Amino acid sequence: MKPEPPSVQPPGGSPRIENEAELATRARGGDRVAFGQLVERFAPQARRVARAVLQDPHDADDAAQDAFLAALVKLDQYDPRRPFGPWLMRIVANAATDRRRRRTVRQVEPLAPELTGGGPRPDREAEQSALGDRLRAALAELPERRRIAVVLFDVEGYSHSEIAQILGIPEGTVRSEVFHARRRLRELLADWR
Amino acid sequence: MTGPMTPFDHRPDARLGEALRAALDAGDQAAFVARVLAAAARPARTVEVLAAWARRGLAAAMAAAALAGFLVGRGSAPTASPEDALAPTGAGAASVALVTATRPPDASVVFASLVAGGR
Repeated sequence: MKPEPPSVQPPGGSPRIENEAELATRARGGDRVAFGQLVERFAPQARRVARAVLQDPHDADDAAQDAFLAALVKLDQYDPRRPFGPWLMRIVANAATDRRRRRTVRQVEPLAPELTGGGPRPDREAEQSALGDRLRAALAELPERRRIAVVLFDVEGYSHSEIAQILGIPEGTVRSEVFHARRRLRELLADWR
Repeated sequence: MTGPMTPFDHRPDARLGEALRAALDAGDQAAFVARVLAAAARPARTVEVLAAWARRGLAAAMAAAALAGFLVGRGSAPTASPEDALAPTGAGAASVALVTATRPPDASVVFASLVAGGR
């Protein structure tokens, strides 16, 4: 789940959001501790979003790191009146997409057919791991934008309008992407439980 | 992922979200944070500095070229009045005189036309 709910802003702004804006302001002024707190807070989310694009965990971590470093350089472009998460996630998504385009060496190992096609259920102790493999394979089948949209919505808790802002697409398109992604993922997971 | 929720639902699907999170989560957050902070603390490499300079240099060169082109274009533009533009000059004037004359041309006009055309 994302560190804060940027879509739900009580009047006057939530203390958590102010805190992130304050951290960003301090980081922009060269405060490395503040930047470290931002990295710590958003690292899990950034890594998940990057992995949704890149599949390979090493590539994903490289992209997430690129994104944090790019964000540090671009902090003067961040508007502290707005939530930090969507601004950062846009950079993460772009960094991951750029890396995916450049990627030539590392390739994801193809998954065994029983993991992608509803084969026999594995033993209980391996079930969670196999479910993860199967979900990643299912995600990999989706178009990139659809993958990012469903992860941002169902995993990270961003609103449709925030995802539209992150991906630079209309809100209606985000709803459509989430709808199609969910339908496909549910199909693949229907026989799991 | 199963149950009452439909793909049309505008609420996050907690079960699907939980399963996806588990599938995408990477371990050792502390190591990753340390790695990012170490990279941020590292002084910019020479190549990166040169690349940044090159980008700025290219942008400045393009701006200078555009400005120079604009100024040169402005400097060489004719400043003649509309009447001047219509009036024939040089060989053109002689040729027009020959064509529009109602009487047989004087030899001097033909000569002037030939001299001007030869230049």
